[in-house]
Amino acid sequence: MLGMPLRRRLRLFVATVTAALLALLATGTASAIQPRGITDEAHLMNDLFWIVTIAGLVVFGLVGAALVYAMIRYRRQNDELPPQFHGGGKIEAAMVGVPVLIVIGLFTISMIILVQIDDKAQDEALTIDVTGFQFSWQFAYNLNDLGTNTDPNAEGTIAVIGTPANDPILYMPVDEPVEFLLKSNDVIHSFYVKDFLYKLDLIPGRVNSFTVTARETGDFSAQCAELCGTNHALMRFTVRVVERDEFDAWVAAEAARQLGDGALVSTSGTQGD
Amino acid sequence: MATVAVPQLSGYHRPAVLDWIMTVDHKRLGILYLYFTLFFFAVGGILALLVRTQLAVADNSFVGNDAYNQIFTMHASAMLFLFIIPVWAGFGNYLVPLQIGAADMAFPRINALSFWMLPPAGILMFAGFIVDGGAADGGWTAYSPLAQQTGVGMDMWIIAVIVLGMSSTIGAANFLVTMFRMRAPGMTMFRMPIFCWTMLVTALLQLLATPVLAAALVMLFIDRNYGGQFFDPNGGGNVVLWQNVFWFYSHPAVYIMILPGMGIVSEILPVFSRKPLFGYKAFVFATIGIGGLGFSVWAHHMFTTGSVLLPFFGFMTFMIGVPTGVKIFNWLGTLWGGSISFPTPMLFAIGFVSMFLIGGINGTYSAAVPVDFALHDTYFVVAHIHYVLFGGSVFAVFGGLYYWFPKIWGRQLNERLGKLHFVLMFVGFNVAFFPMHMLGLDGMPRRIAVYADSAGWEALNMLSTGGAFLIAVSMIPFLIAVVMAFMRPKDQPDDPWEANTLEWATTSPPPDYNFDSLPPVRSERPLFDARHGDEAH
Ligand code: HEM
Ligand SMILES: [Cu+2]
Ligand SMILES: [Cu+2]
Repeated sequence: MLGMPLRRRLRLFVATVTAALLALLATGTASAIQPRGITDEAHLMNDLFWIVTIAGLVVFGLVGAALVYAMIRYRRQNDELPPQFHGGGKIEAAMVGVPVLIVIGLFTISMIILVQIDDKAQDEALTIDVTGFQFSWQFAYNLNDLGTNTDPNAEGTIAVIGTPANDPILYMPVDEPVEFLLKSNDVIHSFYVKDFLYKLDLIPGRVNSFTVTARETGDFSAQCAELCGTNHALMRFTVRVVERDEFDAWVAAEAARQLGDGALVSTSGTQGD
Repeated sequence: MATVAVPQLSGYHRPAVLDWIMTVDHKRLGILYLYFTLFFFAVGGILALLVRTQLAVADNSFVGNDAYNQIFTMHASAMLFLFIIPVWAGFGNYLVPLQIGAADMAFPRINALSFWMLPPAGILMFAGFIVDGGAADGGWTAYSPLAQQTGVGMDMWIIAVIVLGMSSTIGAANFLVTMFRMRAPGMTMFRMPIFCWTMLVTALLQLLATPVLAAALVMLFIDRNYGGQFFDPNGGGNVVLWQNVFWFYSHPAVYIMILPGMGIVSEILPVFSRKPLFGYKAFVFATIGIGGLGFSVWAHHMFTTGSVLLPFFGFMTFMIGVPTGVKIFNWLGTLWGGSISFPTPMLFAIGFVSMFLIGGINGTYSAAVPVDFALHDTYFVVAHIHYVLFGGSVFAVFGGLYYWFPKIWGRQLNERLGKLHFVLMFVGFNVAFFPMHMLGLDGMPRRIAVYADSAGWEALNMLSTGGAFLIAVSMIPFLIAVVMAFMRPKDQPDDPWEANTLEWATTSPPPDYNFDSLPPVRSERPLFDARHGDEAH
């Protein structure tokens, strides 16, 4: 009689914990579907994300199941002392061996993917100069460094400058490598585009760079990811990935607007050369 | 009938308050540490509720952007520097001398000094809110050059953190000497209670790492006030240098924040499984291993700076998973084949194991360097931090409080209220922090005061805020249980839990001098041996 309510309470507790663990598992799996990425590099990272997720879920499932099983199977039923087991050589070796195998495996895969991502960096890429400042962004394009459609005789730079109230738009062409040069003159910022699955810091005193190839057109929201002061949360921008001719048309229009007519050897004219 | 005149020693009785202020008794100092740190847990908690209220809905203007930066900075600073790091000194002060069978710490007066450095530092840090420019607002990481820009509250923060660091440095020396020199006869190093071992490694980390932080903070102070330019590229300084020295301290510091919690859990699990800790030596070596590796992974907080040797730090970070995995096996093996009961301390201990497991797994995502490029500085990392520091450390704090309450205050906390507390906190915690994984994957950066409606983050943020308030509600049954306990007389026997270690071999609470006599120490479980003789070995 005395044991009944205790056992019932126990069972309730175990059921709650199991349910909670299962719910976590389910949400974990669902959430894992979220990151997608629109660049070649992001697709690589996404593969790694899945590998880590699967490894994590397996570890979580096994350990969680063992935990719940032990709590039910070995709950106290009488006053008898259980065997006083202290552990031993073989099991302790396994305790070290299993995690070693898991982490070496994951590390190796991470490095393979890291190398592949770095491999993508290419010289002939279109270059965009990104400067972060408190609290917005400047995106500058050098007219003789426009990637596949560069006119070496072109001179001048066009720039898009935002304000906290007016988010700037970063134009870039689809299906070709684009290199970003990141600079800051005040504090540290971080250039974070969720759909690149990538971020890199803008650090006063040094220039960071990375290259991506976008594979989807559209507008992608992005923002600063390193605390940089009062309006850090308002350092938002939009990445607009467009087809090459649309990009060229935009460059031509901006050049005309910012530099006056004739500053740019008409980009549309150099097309198809 | 003959009477004997007993000479009165003195007619003067020191008022109780003075007694507490002048005390050099490790138990009283331990209790002062606990009161102090739990107070700042409450303060930090209120700041957290402000943060969660602001983020509950999109485009909110409950607090302004400036105020928000101060609030989240002071939330983290209070929780880390004024709660979780010193709370272990509180448990350690109370328990280490008792667990090794000593009468006090090695240097009782220095011990009092360590404690009394905390209140002025706490006041100084929070006084930032009333000065011009407000409290520190550069995050608890105080990245330069941002940390050069803000008002005098930042200088107060720097000085406060230096003082807190000095407190824990001399406290660490005290713990080490106590454990090396004052163990009871028969207590070899490998018979020391596992909580003491974790305090020992923690003290070593503090001794080696905290002075580095002090040096960095002094440099920052000079940069701010005397044109030092250590971290200013325009004067030949280096911005990333700050991050290197800061994390050289602060990565070991994350272990300072959790190792004693692991120790507490490793005391509780064996008692309520009625078995020894599975793989005691493996646990000790894993703890030492974590401490050692902890010094070689700092740059994993800097993967996106573009100036880190990625393969090395990625590898070392993964390697930390090995001793961590060993500990999970220690705990599972302890439960396995046991005779397990589930009083409140045990619930918190098992809560710790399950939540820390998640905290280890979601840490792996950031150790995989290319994945960290996506997740760094997003809410995913906020989830990780809290699964280890709240689901881990804070659950261990409460497990320890429920477990040692009868020893420290001579009374039991009500079991029903304790279980209610656990369930509410466990559910509230997961509701508050699990959605942050999804928010991070969906691109929400950390440390932002507002987000746009169009970002689509509102629903999960609302859910998370609900969980945060549920955690706050879970404190109510705890507080009621404490008040109820203090309304009762001290009625606890020496050893209410049938425990293993020496603190249970004396009265509850123990007398000033701790022990009338000590049982012989022939294993890491002297009280178990005394209860069961040799039958069980
Ligand atoms: C298997 C174990 C662990 C691994 C692999 C791991 C890995 C990491 C990594 C790579 C980061 C950097 C993430 C980023 O900023 O992008 C990080 C952040 C952090 N970790 Fe862990 N971690 C582990 C355990 C712990 C433990 C035990 C604690 C503390 C008790 C902890 C506390 C923190 C904190 C406080 C931060 C964030 C600091 C900040 O930026 O404010 N971690 N962890
Ligand atoms: Cu920012
Ligand atoms: Cu770290």
